[in-house]
Amino acid sequence: MKPPPFSYHRGRTVEHAAELLRELGPSARLLAGGQSLLPMLNLRLAEPAHLVDLGSAPGLDVIRRDGDMLVVGATARQAAVEHSSDVRALVPLLAEAVEHVAHPPIRHRGTVVGSIAHASAVAELPCAAVALNAQLTLLSADGVRTVGAEEFFTGAFTTSARADEIVAQVAFPVTGPGTGQAWSEFSLRRGNFPVAGAGASVTVADGEIVDVAIAICGVSDRPVRARAAEAALLGTRPGPEVVAAAAAASIADLAPRVDGDLAAHILPVVAAPVPAWGYRASVAKSQVRRAVTTALTRAGGVR
Amino acid sequence: MSQTTDSHADVPAPMAPHKDMKWIGKSVKRVEDPKLLRGLGRYIDDVVLPGMLHAAVLRSPHAHARIVSVDAERARRAPGVVAVLTGPEAAEQFGPLPDSGPAPDKHVWRVLAADKVHYVGEGVAVVVAENRYQAEDARTLIDVTYDVLEPVVDPIAAAEDTGNLVHEALGTNVAYERTFTFGDVAHDFADADLVVRDRLRWGRQTAHPLDTTAAIGDYDAGTGEMVVHTNSISMTWLAFGAAVALGIPSNKLDLRPYISGGSFGSKQFCWRSTVTAAMMSKITGRPVKYVEDRLDHQLNGDQHGSDRYYDVELALMRDGTFRSLKIDCVDDYGAYIQFGVGSHGNALAQVTGPYRITSTEYRVRAVLTNKTQQGAYRGFGADAGNWALERIVDKAAAELGLDPADIRRRNLIPPDAFPYHIPSGNMYDSGNYEPVLDHALQRFDYDGWRRKQEAMRAEGRKIGIGVVTANERSVYGATEFWFWFDDKDVPVKTTSTPEGVSMTVDTVGAVTVTLYSTPFWGNSSDTVAAMLAAEEFDVDPADVSVVHHGTKGGLPAAGPGGSRLTVMLAGAITGASKKIKDKLRRIAAHDMEVDEADLEWVDGGYQVRGAEDSRRSIGDLAMLAYLVKTALPDGEESGLAADFVYDHPHLTMPKPDRSDLGSFYPCVGHACHLVAVEVDEETGSVDILDYVAVHDSGTLVNPRSYDGQIVGGTAQGVGTALAEEMTYDAAGNPLVGTFWDYLIPTALDVPEVNFGHEETPSPITAHGIKGGGEAGRLMAPGALSAAIDDALRDHGVRVTELPATPERIVGWIQGHRG
Repeated sequence: MKPPPFSYHRGRTVEHAAELLRELGPSARLLAGGQSLLPMLNLRLAEPAHLVDLGSAPGLDVIRRDGDMLVVGATARQAAVEHSSDVRALVPLLAEAVEHVAHPPIRHRGTVVGSIAHASAVAELPCAAVALNAQLTLLSADGVRTVGAEEFFTGAFTTSARADEIVAQVAFPVTGPGTGQAWSEFSLRRGNFPVAGAGASVTVADGEIVDVAIAICGVSDRPVRARAAEAALLGTRPGPEVVAAAAAASIADLAPRVDGDLAAHILPVVAAPVPAWGYRASVAKSQVRRAVTTALTRAGGVR
Repeated sequence: MSQTTDSHADVPAPMAPHKDMKWIGKSVKRVEDPKLLRGLGRYIDDVVLPGMLHAAVLRSPHAHARIVSVDAERARRAPGVVAVLTGPEAAEQFGPLPDSGPAPDKHVWRVLAADKVHYVGEGVAVVVAENRYQAEDARTLIDVTYDVLEPVVDPIAAAEDTGNLVHEALGTNVAYERTFTFGDVAHDFADADLVVRDRLRWGRQTAHPLDTTAAIGDYDAGTGEMVVHTNSISMTWLAFGAAVALGIPSNKLDLRPYISGGSFGSKQFCWRSTVTAAMMSKITGRPVKYVEDRLDHQLNGDQHGSDRYYDVELALMRDGTFRSLKIDCVDDYGAYIQFGVGSHGNALAQVTGPYRITSTEYRVRAVLTNKTQQGAYRGFGADAGNWALERIVDKAAAELGLDPADIRRRNLIPPDAFPYHIPSGNMYDSGNYEPVLDHALQRFDYDGWRRKQEAMRAEGRKIGIGVVTANERSVYGATEFWFWFDDKDVPVKTTSTPEGVSMTVDTVGAVTVTLYSTPFWGNSSDTVAAMLAAEEFDVDPADVSVVHHGTKGGLPAAGPGGSRLTVMLAGAITGASKKIKDKLRRIAAHDMEVDEADLEWVDGGYQVRGAEDSRRSIGDLAMLAYLVKTALPDGEESGLAADFVYDHPHLTMPKPDRSDLGSFYPCVGHACHLVAVEVDEETGSVDILDYVAVHDSGTLVNPRSYDGQIVGGTAQGVGTALAEEMTYDAAGNPLVGTFWDYLIPTALDVPEVNFGHEETPSPITAHGIKGGGEAGRLMAPGALSAAIDDALRDHGVRVTELPATPERIVGWIQGHRG
């Protein structure tokens, strides 16, 4: 469990890091908190020739409000986001989801943006980003571009970012009045990635759901929006039956996955005891129901 | 040790619990902990010897394949590499590893695979380099050509298969098969009102100490001496096995024990790491460190636990009285069988649990497959045995409509029946089981919980309660590793499995205890030794020095295992202390010019009976013993030192036809565990709401550390019951390699255990102590299984397979039984 040889490069700034990535080519990998990449190196599941460390680049660890958005920089630690009163007040779903990421020591090293960029199909933060319709800023030697979270994730551990692009920051829309948010997940052991999890953001006005976004992880090769569930809720005056029907709808239009198909783990190992589809879908349904119910309560929509 | 076939003529009546002792029975802080808590423990990986090299092992990617060729030339030229040894080369230079299984020459176990690989992870070459990084880099440069064979994975199919064999020389995949009949089983079954049957599956698990197995070999080519620093166990009287494998004289080998972050049985012997480090030191002439990383340990650690398929039948009467028990077990041993079927000896030592059952049939088939081999894991086969018995008892209670606590109570062996021989022949030295059950029911508030359960169930919550009453055999005699065979030419004798200690009292009266082949494994060897010596000499345990001696020149000793250490050390330390105290008495009598019989030991010294002013302290007398030869009686040697080898307190011979296996595991404790759980029907998660454990392991030595044993064992039992499994796919690929996949419960998953104690001393051990090291894990799986059944009774769910993972539970609820 020792990494293969690699050369280490320190990015002095985010722009410098982008230049290094361009120069070193596709055999270079970007290093942020290292909580996924370093175990992969130790198990020799990844053998990059170069690591470009973003850790000491200045100004990237920001957590700040920018108009209607809350901006999290590329090296902001998960623990800093978890303990930020701004995050809790402005994007409560992100605050709740990050509490479920692994254990405190890992959250003190791991970064929110790094976890999103790693694009695990079962991780909390990519799923929360989809539920929140987060906007990702991709920076390269050519400049910057912005993509929405849903377009960003293209498969297990794969994204629409090029190998020489850095996810420099992720911006999350700030909640308004009448909006309740919640994260719910079930994992086989506390601190593990979930079997399935769901994030929900629901806005209620005059007792009626006027806006809703739900995303699920653990049921596909990427986090997915539960649009059928959203449609079942939008415009309704919510109660337990409506929520249960929406939860059932959330998995109805998903394609069943064969055993072992889901990249369910922190490490893209081929052989792993991955829970079977039927169980995974059943857990996902229950987590959608729980997340939506809690979000509605927080929105003041369900007594 | 006694060797008699007489039932229990030499077993004295149980004694009352000791209440007049200074240290035994008091909660004492562990003497080991100050150094460990300050990071000053010295583990193998902390040890750096001058010129030390590092080893990495290349592991087989195939479950079953013939090795066509191994080309290590590129690796030999890699940076930092000092030596590479391939499997075929090792087979020429070194002998097989010690294997106490049946017909070891027909399933030869080597440190590296020579002609065939037998499981994913088996070593095929070892690289030694200046550092571990270089060794691992060079390992990838070894080219091995394999001729891949069909893997042998399913033990049930493998038992019938004579074409595809793990070891061709054996001619079968069944390494051992035998049916034992103890008592008149046919009559008891015919006579019974009903027979309850169950088919059960105990999944493969392992102990997973945080500190993996590790060794440093240090060969001195000048003297031919080989020192191996090791955190695995190395019994002084069996260390010759490693010497044979290494091709060095047994008296030139010294296996030196180290502290380790846990064993739970899994570091019993672990010859492979010891021999790997030692052989590479012999080849390079430099110290070589081999520390298993987690993958090495998982895949190639020789430490997996029992992997069993059970058919169980219990014959009983309508009123719930048990009559007879039949067990048919297929055990998947993996590719080798280093301890033979010793783990079934552990099960047979308490096959009928705490219950009166008059006859038993036990069939065992030990099947070899292309998986990592079994080792020992806390319970060593009695864990699975206890669970199977408690499962069938619960099924019987359900069929008869009896309360699970009631059916147990009416079958408990009564206190006046001890010493009690169970059908297999093993003796239970003492016991008083009903007070343990009563204590546990009261501590748990059983009736209160039953009422609370009904109220919660009325709200739609799935609440269940489980109860087990179960035994913990302790202090094995190694006879259980060879009574399986009845070769006429090699008649079985009992094997005492002795434990020796050396003690000294120095010039100023300070006490030192030397232990042999007893690594500190996270159990409390030093504290136990210190308390027992402190009890004898009236000193503070913190002031007793404890030394861990290597095997070379060591007294016979076996260290921890089978819950033996405290009992065996108590016998040895009591014996050695008596020798020294007798000498002190002779010196005191001589110096004071009184008769020895007039002296008494009071508060750390000898005095004339009743005359406190005359007392000579241990320090006064020690000064004479070392410095004043003229003050000693004629012929008395200077100094205060004594060795004592304590033999097993009670072994009896098996009958020639094995209708009785004799007494081989006689210090038998008892426990009752009660648990309340809530099951989530959607996710299958099991929340533990309340947990009570009441144990009786004879005289308590240190309640504080014993509670630690119980909670640790219970934590492992929770993992066993709900989460932990070493899974393999149909091609023999292990599906778990790290703690990411192998789900050990964390502090967040383990309940607060509410402890209670009862004390029924052993009549055959020093101070009446029984072993308690496997406490918890022998009970928790049964209790949790019963609670899950109870919670899901509306669905008709019964737990017949462990671990009862959330996914399995949801499947059972949905009717898709595993």
